[in-house]
Amino acid sequence: MATSSGRGLVSHDTQKRLQRIAVYLTALLISVFTIIPVYVMVVIAIQSPATTFAGGRVNLLPTEPSLRNFLVLLGSTDTVRYFVNSLVVTLGSTVLSTTIAVAAGYGLTRFDFTGKSLAARAVLFSYMFSPIVLAIPLYVVFSTLGLLNSHFALTLALTAISAPFCIWLMWQYFQTVPIALEESAWVRGASRWRTVRDVVLPVARPGYISAAIFAFAVAWNDFTMARVVMSRDEMYTITVGASLFLDRVSIGWGETMAVSLLISIPPFLITLFLQRYLLQGFSVGGLE
Amino acid sequence: MATSIHLDTVRKEFRTLGNTHVAVDDLSLDIPEGSFTTFVGPSGCGKTTTLRMLAGLETPTSGTVSFGDEDVTDLPPQERNVSMVFQSIALYPHMSVRENIGYGLKIHGVPKAERDERIDEAAEVLQIEAQLEKMPAELSGGQQQRVALGGAFVQDPDVLLLDEPMSDLDAKLKSDLRVEIQRLHQELDTTVVYVTHDQTEAMTMSDQVVLLRDGELAQVDPPKQLFDYPNSEYVAQFIGMPSTNVVDCAVEERDGGTALVGPGFELSLPAGVDVSPAGRVRLGIRPQYLDVGSAGACRLSVDVEVVETLGTESVVHGRLEDGTPFDVVSDAVDDAVAGDRLDVSFDLADAFVFGEDGETILFGSERAGERSSSPAGTGGVTP
Repeated sequence: MATSSGRGLVSHDTQKRLQRIAVYLTALLISVFTIIPVYVMVVIAIQSPATTFAGGRVNLLPTEPSLRNFLVLLGSTDTVRYFVNSLVVTLGSTVLSTTIAVAAGYGLTRFDFTGKSLAARAVLFSYMFSPIVLAIPLYVVFSTLGLLNSHFALTLALTAISAPFCIWLMWQYFQTVPIALEESAWVRGASRWRTVRDVVLPVARPGYISAAIFAFAVAWNDFTMARVVMSRDEMYTITVGASLFLDRVSIGWGETMAVSLLISIPPFLITLFLQRYLLQGFSVGGLE
Repeated sequence: MATSIHLDTVRKEFRTLGNTHVAVDDLSLDIPEGSFTTFVGPSGCGKTTTLRMLAGLETPTSGTVSFGDEDVTDLPPQERNVSMVFQSIALYPHMSVRENIGYGLKIHGVPKAERDERIDEAAEVLQIEAQLEKMPAELSGGQQQRVALGGAFVQDPDVLLLDEPMSDLDAKLKSDLRVEIQRLHQELDTTVVYVTHDQTEAMTMSDQVVLLRDGELAQVDPPKQLFDYPNSEYVAQFIGMPSTNVVDCAVEERDGGTALVGPGFELSLPAGVDVSPAGRVRLGIRPQYLDVGSAGACRLSVDVEVVETLGTESVVHGRLEDGTPFDVVSDAVDDAVAGDRLDVSFDLADAFVFGEDGETILFGSERAGERSSSPAGTGGVTP
């Protein structure tokens, strides 16, 4: 690209330099497109609408930061309740999905049983379902069981979406953990459980952290399941709640951007602290 | 306490997709307590499977395994006082070297102070004191293998199992560790069972070598005995470097006796040797026992193809006149080059005669008396 063929007069060093420039330009361009919307969100969230729209145009250079939007959210909406609902079901589903994935992944790689390959294929197949395909049948199930409008039901529904991929990820990951590590622990006298605790789980940590991050992202960003399973206002999650703001006359750009900012905080923190494991785990899962 | 090990018609079958593969075929064997026994054989001969049955990682399909008088056939690995070093080394990547070595002690509830003392002792023996606080990933391959050894013997096992522990190491480290392992065996009160496909390791380290073939016992003997008295063509060819030359011969009647007639030579057998007349046999001669020149009773010529120089001696790879591959090891062939014809000779004392089923029917040395100018030691083992 940067080195035109045929000439061959460009030195190796120059080629390297041009290559690096091209890489940085691309990175810069991508960052601009991702950062600008985030920047706009942050600026509108931390200015009062009066400041943002002063002078008949949209001011995107923050001059007077204010917490007015957040105060409106706290004062006149159920944002806190929605946020707590989201946290409860997301944490529940993340723990559940990861636990299932670790157990299933370990079982699929360490034990032989009839129908193993069928089970493995079923896992991949169920991963192909879009949430909306599952939503109505799950609604029927939960409605029959009288579980609608419960954190428990939504936790299960979210786990149904994230678990197949998490299982697949852990299944791949456990294939990279040599069985000799476990055998060596058994020969030294460790029981199977003790081996799982002392050897298998520590070694598989990048794998299950990746699975947990994935399950977290699915649950936190979910809209469909929450919309179907939760019909009472006080049970809404933050995504469903925020979408309703747009329909209300009293809520403007400022408040909407403020709630968006709140929604972004947990995923941001998670990627910030766990990105090292995320990359390790996904590279094994073939998603590098 | 070292323990003796007894295998009684142990059989292990693996079933995959309806196919049954017999990995170990009714193996019976006694391993004396405190001995160093090596299982050797080509890959797929069942040696690792046998070792895993001793560890309890595999359960025999039939037959019994006993340690001393105790039947351990169905005991899980946790309930046997064995230690095992794996081919893949298998150190725990998240534990320091100290924790790796001490893990077994920790499982058995040994208090920390005593644990540390024993770990330090082990590290000193293995010369890895400076590495104790490092993580396995920071160590070289040789150091990692020493750590694995340390973790195995620090538990004072009755039986120490080693599964090709050196196959991933380079030649120099191998010879260092060979000495190390033998030293450990002398210091410890433990029965060592060692699996390898490398006959040099088997011959140099063991009290007893178990040679397997397709899951069956081919021969079990001390190394020297195995080298001098192979009970079959398979054993003669497997043990010794380069392999024993094997030549097809016809048995023919001669005045007053029998002779073996091979390509370009004739070897008369002493009276009373019973080889089925008019049949065909195979004659085995170790490359080391051939003399360049005509000192021996039986002379033949070899067409030289490749000459490998090993320093004091050379290995000549050649063929007999009918194309049978034939190797000669000698210190008198420095100037041989490909295309030469080399005259060599041997005596009956240097030869084995194998029957058509591959069994040894005659050890030349037994019938001709010990040769006065016998080559020194087990010349077949690369120094």
